[in-house]
Amino acid sequence: MANRTAAIAAGERAFALSLFLPAFLVLVLITTFPLVYLVWTSLNRIDLAMPWNSGFAGAENYARMFDDPRFWHALELTLIYTSVTVILQVLIGLGLALLVSRIPVGQGLLRVAVIVPIVLAPVVVGLFWRTLVLAPDFGIVDFVTRALGFGSHNWLGDPQLALISVIAIHTWQWTPFVFLVLLASLAALPIEIFEAARLDRASAWQRFWHITLPLIRPAIVIVIIMRMMIALSAFAAIFAATGGGPGTATEILNLYVYRTSFDALNFGYGAALGVVLLVITLGVSFILFRLRRSR
Amino acid sequence: MGDKEQNRKKNHAASRREVFQAVAVLGAGAFAAPYFIRRSGAQAADLGPYQSAKLNWRQAEGEKITVAVIPASYFENLITITPEFQALTGVEVRYEKVPPGQIRQKAMLDLTSKTATYATSATDPMYYPLYVSNKWVEPLDKYLNDPALTDTSWFKYEDILKAWRDADSVEGKPYAIPYDGEVTVQVYRRDLYETKNLTSADTFEDFVRNAAAVHDPNNRVWGAALRAFAGAGQNMYIYPSIFRSFGGQWIVNGKIKVNSAEAEQALTWYVDTLTKYAPPAVRNWNWPDIADAFAQGTLGAYIDAHSSAAVLNNPEKSKVVGQIGFARWPKGPGNKRVTSIWNWGFPINASLSEKAKRATWLFIIWAASQETQARTSWKFSGPTKRSGVNRLSTWHSPEFTNAMKSSGENFVEAALQSLEQDTDVDWRPRVPQWPAIGDTMATAIQSALVGQKKPKGALDEAQARLDQIMRG
Repeated sequence: MANRTAAIAAGERAFALSLFLPAFLVLVLITTFPLVYLVWTSLNRIDLAMPWNSGFAGAENYARMFDDPRFWHALELTLIYTSVTVILQVLIGLGLALLVSRIPVGQGLLRVAVIVPIVLAPVVVGLFWRTLVLAPDFGIVDFVTRALGFGSHNWLGDPQLALISVIAIHTWQWTPFVFLVLLASLAALPIEIFEAARLDRASAWQRFWHITLPLIRPAIVIVIIMRMMIALSAFAAIFAATGGGPGTATEILNLYVYRTSFDALNFGYGAALGVVLLVITLGVSFILFRLRRSR
Repeated sequence: MGDKEQNRKKNHAASRREVFQAVAVLGAGAFAAPYFIRRSGAQAADLGPYQSAKLNWRQAEGEKITVAVIPASYFENLITITPEFQALTGVEVRYEKVPPGQIRQKAMLDLTSKTATYATSATDPMYYPLYVSNKWVEPLDKYLNDPALTDTSWFKYEDILKAWRDADSVEGKPYAIPYDGEVTVQVYRRDLYETKNLTSADTFEDFVRNAAAVHDPNNRVWGAALRAFAGAGQNMYIYPSIFRSFGGQWIVNGKIKVNSAEAEQALTWYVDTLTKYAPPAVRNWNWPDIADAFAQGTLGAYIDAHSSAAVLNNPEKSKVVGQIGFARWPKGPGNKRVTSIWNWGFPINASLSEKAKRATWLFIIWAASQETQARTSWKFSGPTKRSGVNRLSTWHSPEFTNAMKSSGENFVEAALQSLEQDTDVDWRPRVPQWPAIGDTMATAIQSALVGQKKPKGALDEAQARLDQIMRG
């Protein structure tokens, strides 16, 4: 009897395995293999400009980052870019969601309207901002600042303004995402608690701080995690708008990886930088997930 | 994908047409014979200048090759007359037009993966050291010296401009044959200069003084402009000339040196001149923007490729036709004038089959030959006659001078003198690490031009980075 159950179980396991295997193999082929290959590349000296140096390098590419000021600069920019864009997105998105959740009619229309930036390809967004919004003399922003008497500025050509501009571009594109998620979770809140609070004469601020915020906290944390992962790996919009310039003013880590690998042709070092970016992204996500679970 | 599809359709159409032709010939028979004899005679005369070479042009018959070029009029002219090459050799040529910003990456992708997609591609001369150290392209001396492949007395390799031949060679060996090229020259507004009693600048000081004299931004005239956009082919195209004119050396004791005293002076001159006398947007400008601004009458002078003259002389777009003067680069404090040695050359992809290599070589010598150079320049039937011809004899020919005479005063003379006297093979550092050097320098120069860093600081930082890159 026991033998038969075991045999059936084994048969089922084999069947389950045969169902699971194709998907698993495809996954290994398209995600695990490139990842392992990336790590392997990062442990080698592969510089097309100096092919005579090629060979196994161990941790050399990683050690090199410590005295590479451009790496530290890129890392700093990545952290600024990520934290500022995520904070702005959550603040603006939450504000808009709170405002709109009070609107009784026409919410559907608004929801459709805000989807537009999200569905645009980031590279299109970058080009669109560069040529139509931020171009000196012709751009919309420049037109507004001149009309208000702030004068014309080279929005993507000046180092400080360029960083602000790429942050604005990313915030513009992705705030609607935060807005939509938070709007949905606001709509799902139980109305009874708010009624009870109102009966207890809680002020609007108290209701927001003690009821709304704790209730939508899980949604906010998930949104922050998702936005951080995307911001850390941002590439196309910046690449199209500034190419990392002027100089290295908007060269976040991802762009530095690209420039090292495909402009300077140092694939080994570029791969090592890519691995570091991956580890940072995984680390940040891991910490945030832990924070989410801990309460 | 769409391209391939179209080609296949074309091929089908062609073969169908051939069948019809064959049937027609058979049917028409003897009646049409005199006509066909006359016609083939006319065709032979057409290819005569090529067939006079002691060379079997049909040795790679039936081969198909793909050539990557950039979308530019000088290649369009070549594409237009390529059916002549196919008639001459029986080699089928397919062109792929790749924008200049992507052609290096596309070519390199092909070369590294050894897919042999491009038999040859229009190549940036700064990339040969890299290609050669990876053995991606064929050394061409064996093709030039093989009597079965080259009739030396017909091809006259030595007639091709020396600076361009040198630019396409590594350690004395040629790796590509120049097809088209350019020199950087001074372009100025004759009318503005005449009213202020100025002549074209002979020295860097003159250039700045002239710029100051005509500088009048309130009336939308700026003194001068130079390419300033970040990029190995933009600001790192103009800066090397300035650097060398100040007496700078790229390689000192076998090491790359970019923060010498001369470098600092050169970069300071570049930054100061543009800050004082160029339109503010110049930091985002590449040559087409500069040529457009000049054509609109808002610039007193600029220094850039002689081929930009084509834009200035287009009466539909230009307000300064007839007011344009040309001169050589001004002399720098190092008592040197240094022009660009840029040219588009054709190398042979080393991963090709032997027969495809021969077919490619035939294509290259056809494109670089005296006759094709003439047929894409003054003999060309279209509106744009190429001005970047590759041969000294062509530059000296009265037909060429005649075709170029509408470009402006002193055009051919200034360009030719520059080609003969102001070229410098060490204009830019010719090493395999050029892509990284070009990128690093472009970034450093831009940070100085936009005022993010002082020239000295920008160059020191570039030096530190290059030391790290060159260490490997």
